[in-house]
Amino acid sequence: MFLIQLRHELWKLFGKKRTYMGFAMFFVAQVVILMVFRFSRASRGMGDLLETNGYDITAFLSPLTAACFTNFWLAYLLLPLYGSLVGGDLVAKEAEDGTLRMILARPVSRTRLLLLKWLAGAAFSVVLSLLLGLTGLLIGLPFFPWGGLFAFVPGELFAVFPADVGLWRYAAAHLLMSVKATTVMGLAFFFGCLPIKPAAATIMALSFIFLNFILMNIPWFADLKPWFLTYHLNLWQQMYESPIRWTRMGESLSLLLGFNATFFALGAAVFGLRDLKS
Amino acid sequence: MIRLKDLTKRFGQRLAVDALTLEVRRGDVFGLLGHNGAGKSTSIGMLLGQVWPSSGEAWIGDHEVSRDRSRALARVGAIFEAPAFYDYLSGWRNVEILAGYSSPVSQQRLTEVFEWVGLSGREHQVVRTYSHGMRARLALAQALVPDPELLILDEPTNGLDPEGIHEMRATIRRLHAELGLTLLLSSHLLTEVEQLCNRIAVLNKGRKVFEGGLEEVQRGQDWVFLQTDAFDVVVTRLTAEGLVVGARDGRRIALASGVPVSDVVRRLVELGHPVHGIGRETLTLEEFYLSLMKETPCS
Repeated sequence: MFLIQLRHELWKLFGKKRTYMGFAMFFVAQVVILMVFRFSRASRGMGDLLETNGYDITAFLSPLTAACFTNFWLAYLLLPLYGSLVGGDLVAKEAEDGTLRMILARPVSRTRLLLLKWLAGAAFSVVLSLLLGLTGLLIGLPFFPWGGLFAFVPGELFAVFPADVGLWRYAAAHLLMSVKATTVMGLAFFFGCLPIKPAAATIMALSFIFLNFILMNIPWFADLKPWFLTYHLNLWQQMYESPIRWTRMGESLSLLLGFNATFFALGAAVFGLRDLKS
Repeated sequence: MIRLKDLTKRFGQRLAVDALTLEVRRGDVFGLLGHNGAGKSTSIGMLLGQVWPSSGEAWIGDHEVSRDRSRALARVGAIFEAPAFYDYLSGWRNVEILAGYSSPVSQQRLTEVFEWVGLSGREHQVVRTYSHGMRARLALAQALVPDPELLILDEPTNGLDPEGIHEMRATIRRLHAELGLTLLLSSHLLTEVEQLCNRIAVLNKGRKVFEGGLEEVQRGQDWVFLQTDAFDVVVTRLTAEGLVVGARDGRRIALASGVPVSDVVRRLVELGHPVHGIGRETLTLEEFYLSLMKETPCS
């Protein structure tokens, strides 16, 4: 019964056109970034950086490298946007449209309904993150020869991997990216459980994320970084570090699981107390 | 089937429902009547566990809704004013999803219900293309699929055109006659309730001001219309003799308990008053309702 109801939630979520907005925008953004990189002088800058550090550009100018730097920026900025858009809609949009009242005339508990919706949102987040990884790689394949992975974030990360290691790191990074997407979705989901409009839930979740991001990047707050949610949301980036700091990753992962459980519990508590009227 | 005991709901300072106690028996078509804002929808919300009561209890069968909502609502269907659907999905998919929150749904049951409500052939079209009338039928379908014993209809004809209203009323009669459902219907349309219900409760400012059978309403007090010369003189005389206990409008008298109309006619003839017309009068629901509202006016 639970699985049938979950399937129904997925029908609802994936039957909506706006659910695909994130997929469409990611695809367009990836194509644009990769084309500009391929057909402009932008790749020369990357070549210079690699050569200065003693690496051969031809070994690393690959679909993996192109997809990696493309998805870095998309994951920083667009992933929270689409995660919160869907998370904010899950409860608040149904309340706004009146379908929530139709559902809650049924013998289904509010907590069970929220769990179904959260799981559907989590499924969306995983699919979105994995597709982001897959399409990034596929778009780059016709334009770059297969090769190693070069991951670079100014001041934070400089790493090179042979193709086989690079591929699994890239895959694992996108799997962990789904934890980020799920957490952002869960935050917006929590706000959506309050008696507010879906757009307000999305905006509140994004504001929370952006505020964390701003605080984390103020130089004088450098020592406080581990206290901010965005610091832990970027755990996927650690898959490109060499060596991987497993302890830090485990810490971030467990904290994010805790955040998710807290957001859900708070949302369920608020939603459970609400009066649902037309 | 339904028992409400001192059910009360406050929204902040506003008292929306005030100690509502009523009973809907199995097989009733029960009308919950009241003006807009009288507390009908809030009462239905509490009955469905969508609105938390401030105090009191709502029972469906042997289960109290706040404590045992899942069991209480297991055999209950509900239709709301302006039913909402997932417009981008088909009617079939909508019913499958909504009814799926009650129990697993078989394809055969869905086919039967779509046929019953008259949506066969349109069930796989997206709901966005449905007319108001079709949406009302779809609302009925989603309520009927889990095979309910009790159907709750909150202002079911609001927003429908005259043809849709006629169709919905005919359907409500069929639900009772063919499926034997107990129906709780909220409405502010007096004619609708009069046509459909056998028992009613009237709410005013969140308080119940009447509960009883429709026959009881129609009998009301024992009003008799009387056409005679010198009405006031006649009333004074008959009152003095204990035959009449009240009069109104210069043409209606209320007989004392147990006094038949024939006694009044005989006495008037004996007193030499001409009787141009006399007969028992039944109150319409509208007259009854308005008299209740006069007795307990809204602020």
